Amino acid sequence: MFDEMIDPDSDGARQPYASMFEWLNEQNFSKLCNQSKQAEELFRRIGITFNVYGQKDEQERLIPFDIIPRILSAQEWRVMEAGIVQRVAAINAFLDDVYNAQEIIKAGIIPSDLINRNKAFLPQMCGFKPPGGIYTHVVGVDIVRTDVNEFFVLEDNARVPSGVSYMIENRATMLQMFPELFTSNHIKQVSNYPKQLFRSLAAGARDIADNPNIAVLTPGIFNSAYYEHSFLADEMGVDLLQGSDLEVRDGKVMIRTTAGIEPVDVIYRRIDDEFIDPLSFDPQSVLGTPGLFDAYRSGNVMLANAPGSGIADDKAIYSYMPAIIEFYMGAKPLLNNIPTWRCGNPDDLGYVLDNLAELVVKEVHGSGGYGMLVGPASSQRELARFRQKLIANPDNYVAQPTLSLSTVPILTKAGLAPRHVDLRPFVLVSPNEISVTPGGLTRVALKKGSLVVNSSQGGGTKDTWVLEY
Amino acid sequence: MLGRYADNLYWMARYLERSENMARRIDATLHHALTQTNDGAAEWSSVIVSNGNAALFNEKFSGHSMANVINFVLRDQANTNSVMSLLGKARQNARIVRTALTQEVWQSLNESWISYENALKRPINIRDLPAILESIVKGSSLFRGALYGTMLHNDIFNFVRLGTFIERADNTARIIDAKYHRLLPTASALVGGPDQSQWEVMLRSVAAWRSFNWLNKGRLDPVGVAIFLIFDKRMPRSLSFCYKEISSNLHDLEMAYGRQYDAGDTARALAQTIKDGEQNNIHMSNLHDFITSFISTNNQLSLTIAKDFNLN
Repeated sequence: MFDEMIDPDSDGARQPYASMFEWLNEQNFSKLCNQSKQAEELFRRIGITFNVYGQKDEQERLIPFDIIPRILSAQEWRVMEAGIVQRVAAINAFLDDVYNAQEIIKAGIIPSDLINRNKAFLPQMCGFKPPGGIYTHVVGVDIVRTDVNEFFVLEDNARVPSGVSYMIENRATMLQMFPELFTSNHIKQVSNYPKQLFRSLAAGARDIADNPNIAVLTPGIFNSAYYEHSFLADEMGVDLLQGSDLEVRDGKVMIRTTAGIEPVDVIYRRIDDEFIDPLSFDPQSVLGTPGLFDAYRSGNVMLANAPGSGIADDKAIYSYMPAIIEFYMGAKPLLNNIPTWRCGNPDDLGYVLDNLAELVVKEVHGSGGYGMLVGPASSQRELARFRQKLIANPDNYVAQPTLSLSTVPILTKAGLAPRHVDLRPFVLVSPNEISVTPGGLTRVALKKGSLVVNSSQGGGTKDTWVLEY
Repeated sequence: MLGRYADNLYWMARYLERSENMARRIDATLHHALTQTNDGAAEWSSVIVSNGNAALFNEKFSGHSMANVINFVLRDQANTNSVMSLLGKARQNARIVRTALTQEVWQSLNESWISYENALKRPINIRDLPAILESIVKGSSLFRGALYGTMLHNDIFNFVRLGTFIERADNTARIIDAKYHRLLPTASALVGGPDQSQWEVMLRSVAAWRSFNWLNKGRLDPVGVAIFLIFDKRMPRSLSFCYKEISSNLHDLEMAYGRQYDAGDTARALAQTIKDGEQNNIHMSNLHDFITSFISTNNQLSLTIAKDFNLN
């Protein structure tokens, strides 16, 4: 098992942690514990909370925040960043292709059914070029690490990735609580992300307006990521809309304001495709705006991300990512993909059933860590029950080997202890460039030995440092 | 700004103002109950009646004991106008429009809510009551200070202020209405002498006990109290003061949006009615009609604002 701080040969710290390790040794343990409580108090006062679906008693909860930062060297980051940029460029090329020429199907690389009969594929998008040619303005790429130079992409989030506000607030909290750490370490900053997001969205919409009116669209206050929606709107200085604030007049999308109606050019929408427009998608949806999708297809408004982007982060497509990258980029992928068995394929299903106890099995359309099986951590009964589900509906599942995720130290009541982590860097795509904010959101499984880092499943977060040199 | 935002800002301010008024009313009544020889049940009952909550209260409690009323008005979840419900709604509204508020304004509300949620979780011990009431009023003051000192004085600010003063005018008018019969000259005869403690409750409920005494050198007469609460432009909770503020905030909006609104006309007309009443030396026997018509026009204005500015 690879620990990112401790060098097993010397029992001292690996190079990126050298200064942190020294600092940790100088700290008074109970004082650190106190500061950890203070950090939590800070989060509660600012109201950085999330809602858990299906939990009634306490509507708003805090995501546990661990005060020991995770540290990546400049060199480690360069490797990851290049791989992420390559991957996200490929994702956009892929989306452009599947909604237009479908060359990748014609080339026999991906079976037609996997695209055209996929729930995440939106036929309404076919033959349409989104403004600026961009499909995924914001992407989150989940990366895990198994060794010094072994990085794997766990999944891509090309629809409405969340968590970026935690990346920024975690840093702000650390700056407030441990300013001295930022004088002794040289850390790349993350706080200008909202401004970059604004510029990136504006650049994408330059065919619509020189100085576009940008807004964030939220499902509302009960959504689990509502804090983030309001945070981003606030930091960008734009309106935070709900569907009911919008109406479509003569093909233009208008906002109802106190002084009448005014047009909006860019909607950074944090609602899923099927809720955008009841006329084009789910007629039951009360979240959306009738006619919005037609206005979009007429080129009068930019939606970020483009509807239908989900076909690129579908878990069944995931296993084809190395081939997708090679097809569009003409080069080998820089980041590893995790070997993936598609249970819809009988040979793969046989292997998965024979080795269930060693594998991680996920629903193709699942997210948030719900409905997945971690074989090595499951009881015989859980395995048996999951086996039934697999046999009943094999198309719905993919399986992967259980990786030995890297660990980093967290603060526990008994002192520092290693816990498994992943990393979600955030990527902005504009016609000019693909940029990755240095670091990202580190999610940490707080339970000893656990590999599930999702906040809905008891995971926490950490500040993530990328060193300048 | 978004119409929905204006709506949430307006109601956030109304709920917050209402919670502060509740706390002041309880505080005044508590003071009365602790200093009078009777059991004060009538006074506690009038708190419930003037809030229009009698039906729900009677369903849950038998008898207007201090403990019943206090728990109902401060912390009952079923009572949509309990301080706890109001603060929850004010915070919910603020959370929806966070992007329109400064950090300081939002945090003042959020922190108040967190502390009351704790303080009001269990039935209230009378020993803790003064401190709880004081902190509710303080929370409101903190919010007001942060609002004044850190927000742009633009349309966002105007809608918050409109909410505050329409609610406040309604509250002051309702207190006068609930007790107007005590202000009639004949009432003194009925109860065998002027019931000063009643006027004291009234003045304390609108934070005006000391300022009234200061202006009148300790002379307490019913007509004087009525005139003070209705007409005195210097008193921040008088009807006159509220309408000066309402008119001025609507005027700002008309300037900002470059047109005149029905709401502005309604407010100006009501401000004029108040002025006329003062000049014509309104007779106490007309007081009830005056107040009833005021409350109804004030409510009407709230609806007109919603319509004029797309608040929905």
